[in-house]
Amino acid sequence: MAENKTAVTTADLTKVKPYGDTLNDGKVEMAFTLPVPYGEEAEECAKQYVKKLGFNEPSVTYYHELAPGYTFFVVYGAAQQTIDYTAIHVPKVEGNVLDRVECGEWIGENIGRDIVVVGASIESDAHTVGIDAIIQMKGFHGHFGLERFKNVVPYNMGSQVPCEKLIAKAKEVNADAILVSQTVTQKDIHIMNLTKMVELVEAEGLRDKVILTCGGPRISHELAQELGYDAGFGPGRYAEHVMSYVMQEVQKRGWEKKANIEDR
Amino acid sequence: MGLLYDLSKKYKTLSIVGMSKNAGKTTALNFLLEEAMDEGIRLGVTSTGRDGETQDLVTGTEKPRVYLDVDTLVAVPAFLYDLSDAGLEVVMRTNYSTAIGTLLICRVKEAGYVQVAGPVINAEQKKLCQDMLNIGCDLVMIDGAIDRKTIASPDTSDAIILATGAVISRKMDKMVEETAHVVRLYSTDELEDGLYRTAIEENNFDDKIMLINEKGEVTKLDLVTGLGAARHIDEAIKEDTRIVYIPGAFTNSVIVDIGTKKLRQVKFVLKDPTKIFINPMDWGKLRKRGFRLSVLKKIKIALITVNPWSPSGYVFDNRLLLEEMQKAIPDIPVIDVRM
Repeated sequence: MAENKTAVTTADLTKVKPYGDTLNDGKVEMAFTLPVPYGEEAEECAKQYVKKLGFNEPSVTYYHELAPGYTFFVVYGAAQQTIDYTAIHVPKVEGNVLDRVECGEWIGENIGRDIVVVGASIESDAHTVGIDAIIQMKGFHGHFGLERFKNVVPYNMGSQVPCEKLIAKAKEVNADAILVSQTVTQKDIHIMNLTKMVELVEAEGLRDKVILTCGGPRISHELAQELGYDAGFGPGRYAEHVMSYVMQEVQKRGWEKKANIEDR
Repeated sequence: MGLLYDLSKKYKTLSIVGMSKNAGKTTALNFLLEEAMDEGIRLGVTSTGRDGETQDLVTGTEKPRVYLDVDTLVAVPAFLYDLSDAGLEVVMRTNYSTAIGTLLICRVKEAGYVQVAGPVINAEQKKLCQDMLNIGCDLVMIDGAIDRKTIASPDTSDAIILATGAVISRKMDKMVEETAHVVRLYSTDELEDGLYRTAIEENNFDDKIMLINEKGEVTKLDLVTGLGAARHIDEAIKEDTRIVYIPGAFTNSVIVDIGTKKLRQVKFVLKDPTKIFINPMDWGKLRKRGFRLSVLKKIKIALITVNPWSPSGYVFDNRLLLEEMQKAIPDIPVIDVRM
């Protein structure tokens, strides 16, 4: 406890650590469950575990029994590791982001036809929340979905859609872009599903004739690119981000007059 | 002579294709790079995604980096140019699209570790390989991203190196079976020259499903895709239909509703085996029903590499694994990249 805790007023971006009460105190809140019976031994166990994770001054602020043999903890600790913020590089989806109304006008002026997108939550994933946030009229968090965009024709196929169905639909309606949503990520199921999708798209000879994007809470643009998608949209990305990317990509690829997939 | 010398005599471009992520592709690549150094073969190296980064983006496991010898050609994204240990000379600036900006073709002037990257789209990958061969190298290796088996498509490379490993399954026999299934699919017979092949090749310009009768007459189905179209295909198969050509992906939904009698009467033809997306179980069932399949171009597997280590922490007995693999796949060389 006798460490030097002199308060600093400016953060050193080459050595960033968490902020709790003062800069660089490293305070972190953790919540986890251990398969041990509720009791003081459990508390000590959590403390030791957090210590082992490399946190100083672990303190269990709350714990209760989840079920016999399982205890849930909230623990605070002071982190020691630092990160060089200035050396971080994150690939991002390129292009300007316009809002809903601007997107509609931009498409009218620059593309001169409707942009068609088909979206679904694929394979085993039963969660429509992601695809609905992007496509459905009511949108998410005050950001209206693609159904309210002018000059955009979206198709929302819902959840548990086999890759085959999504691709067949995209071909049927001559989609400019396919939006794939994945919410569940346990045991890396989203990787398996997304890979299956991209392989089928490639096998169908559709890969360079459609803009293939994916999105979900655990998806980043970098991951999407590694899996072979054109773009990925993670948390905090809404319909306008997706459409801004898609429409600028349509222009970049010169598909203004190529509404039909065959012509591309 | 060595393994790689033999390969470079037979092929110009080889893609390393993983059965899944962490099947040991990069380990296999490094093994082969070392071989190339020993044998004095000039290599070109590219990838279908960013590869060689120290941390795996998907599993968070440590990933081996790629060590390149002098005179190797390599595709590197512009912003990683500064980050590589090796001394690189820029030979060409390309405009192929990657995850991370402009792609450079460089020649290694000073041996060291490099992060390799490559174009995202297959057609561009092919152009890049040609660029490398034009600039001057004996053999181009393409490192695949995750388990994107479609990169194995013969359009892209001459032959493939199939990397498989313990990661496929916790059970060794399941892993061997899955690998053997893929090998079996890839070595599906090519359609023999003759009436039917000519008919397909002459009419295959618009990627439509085609039915061909005994006389070689072609009927095109007005469907945008075969996916989910089994019933339509079933209806279209007539008494004298002999061949059904499917241009796109071949999944259960293409075939499931076709009656057994009709299934026996025709032969399905695909462009290449990467179009097949049917698991070993369903494949066996189809076979029992008398299903027959040919491809226009099959995939040559030059080599199979196995990795007995799984990132989830279990290890197979490597000698036993090699034995089992060689028993299941007798005609293709199998090597353990960890031995």
